[in-house]
Amino acid sequence: MKRILLISLVGLFLSGSLSAQDDLLADLVKEDSSTVKQNITIATFKSTRVINMHSVEMTGEGNLQFMIIHHFGAIWDNSEGGANFARLLGMNSGFANTYMSFDYTPVRWLNLGLAWSGNTSMEGTAKFKWMRQQSGQKNYPVSIASVHVARVDASQKLETPNDLYWNRMSFVNQLLIARKFSESISAQLIPSWVHYNIVPYGNQDLHDIFSVGVGGRVKLSAKKALTFEYSRQLNGYDNVIDKTGEIVSYSPNLFSLGYDWDTGGHIFQFFLTNSSYASNIQQLSVNTVKDNFGQWSLGFNLNRSYAIKHKVQTK
Amino acid sequence: MKKVLLAALLTIVVLGLNAQTFKTRDGNIYFNPNKNQSNKEYSALSKEATAVLNADKSEVALLVPMKSFHFNNALLEEHFNENYLHTNKYPNGTYKGKLIGFDKSMLTKDGEYKLSSEGTVDMHGAQKPFKSPVTLKVKGGVATFVCNFTIKAEDHKIEIPDLVKPKLSEATPLDATISFKIN
Repeated sequence: MKRILLISLVGLFLSGSLSAQDDLLADLVKEDSSTVKQNITIATFKSTRVINMHSVEMTGEGNLQFMIIHHFGAIWDNSEGGANFARLLGMNSGFANTYMSFDYTPVRWLNLGLAWSGNTSMEGTAKFKWMRQQSGQKNYPVSIASVHVARVDASQKLETPNDLYWNRMSFVNQLLIARKFSESISAQLIPSWVHYNIVPYGNQDLHDIFSVGVGGRVKLSAKKALTFEYSRQLNGYDNVIDKTGEIVSYSPNLFSLGYDWDTGGHIFQFFLTNSSYASNIQQLSVNTVKDNFGQWSLGFNLNRSYAIKHKVQTK
Repeated sequence: MKKVLLAALLTIVVLGLNAQTFKTRDGNIYFNPNKNQSNKEYSALSKEATAVLNADKSEVALLVPMKSFHFNNALLEEHFNENYLHTNKYPNGTYKGKLIGFDKSMLTKDGEYKLSSEGTVDMHGAQKPFKSPVTLKVKGGVATFVCNFTIKAEDHKIEIPDLVKPKLSEATPLDATISFKIN
């Protein structure tokens, strides 16, 4: 009798454990929710640019991105009077700066780019992703990237002492530290260091120019966002000697306001900024637009990416 | 009487011990939402579907973390997560159903079997009855279920903007390949 009791107890126990497995899906869900997952933050910004400045975002791995950055002329010219109607806020002014680039991400943490960067200059870009904001087992509060740009002035009428290409080169190194605070709010800190191999007119004898910038985004909807950017030049903007020997001052401030629109295939970024230069190096070192709002310019970034390396194969 | 009782209890115990469930953690689910299936930009694959098979009851369950779908074009992956499937809010897609025409003896004999499955897909917070043919291939101690099926975005309250609609299939074809180790 004792034995039967024991067996029936074991039987009961087993059938109990059997019924616990009755709901297969509940088991999977339970198992899934009990594992700690690594939540890697995505889409801190819509684009690889906040506005003028690089964002922590990188073109996807194995993807090629084509980007056009276009700065129109000054939105208002007082000397033109009524002709400002024809100038159409600078978009029909006959002046524009265009930046066109291709960039590719061979591995997740590295992006390489080549750009036609306005004023007969070209740029090579390397961008590194050092840290991705994430939570879970590992907690990183911010994403960190850095961008390194080498620019060469390819124009024939260059006024450097000896016309070596090395002398035509300038560089910018930027550290990008960003945090996505919520689905809709992201912010980024951007310290910059611009270096000139040969100091152009107007920069005294300063080879190195430093700036600190901030950028941010507020999402209006899944596909639309407002962005802003501000960078402050720390040295090399006041009482500098320009080409004609006169003493001038540059604007140490770089302001931009933008509107992101993700159409599904392209990302459009419309903006208003107080610099008409296309290259970050010029924006951060020789920006001439000061307090006069009429000299601000409209512009847009347009980018599209293509999958070059197919990780996922079609049948 | 005692012997009968003992036998009955033993049967229960043996049945209990024989309740065969199999589990896998690396099920593959592939899909391409583009009308043009050869457009590789849109190809997406998850290799992280977990699944359980109860061979006695012919029941299956599947769970796939939506963020485990990786697209060839990273921008589309971002849209998939942020704009369409809202994967922060609805992290998993699940399926629970019966295998019709399945018998556990199939698992012990190499071969290819035509089955079907009927159940419920739960995705993006919306449930939808599901029915599709399934092929079971048993070979060398591995049972592989292959299911080619379609899912309609509207059935799961996934909103597709008019601008994007012409590019996408009305019903997205998906391929699930789920392998269980039998031995």
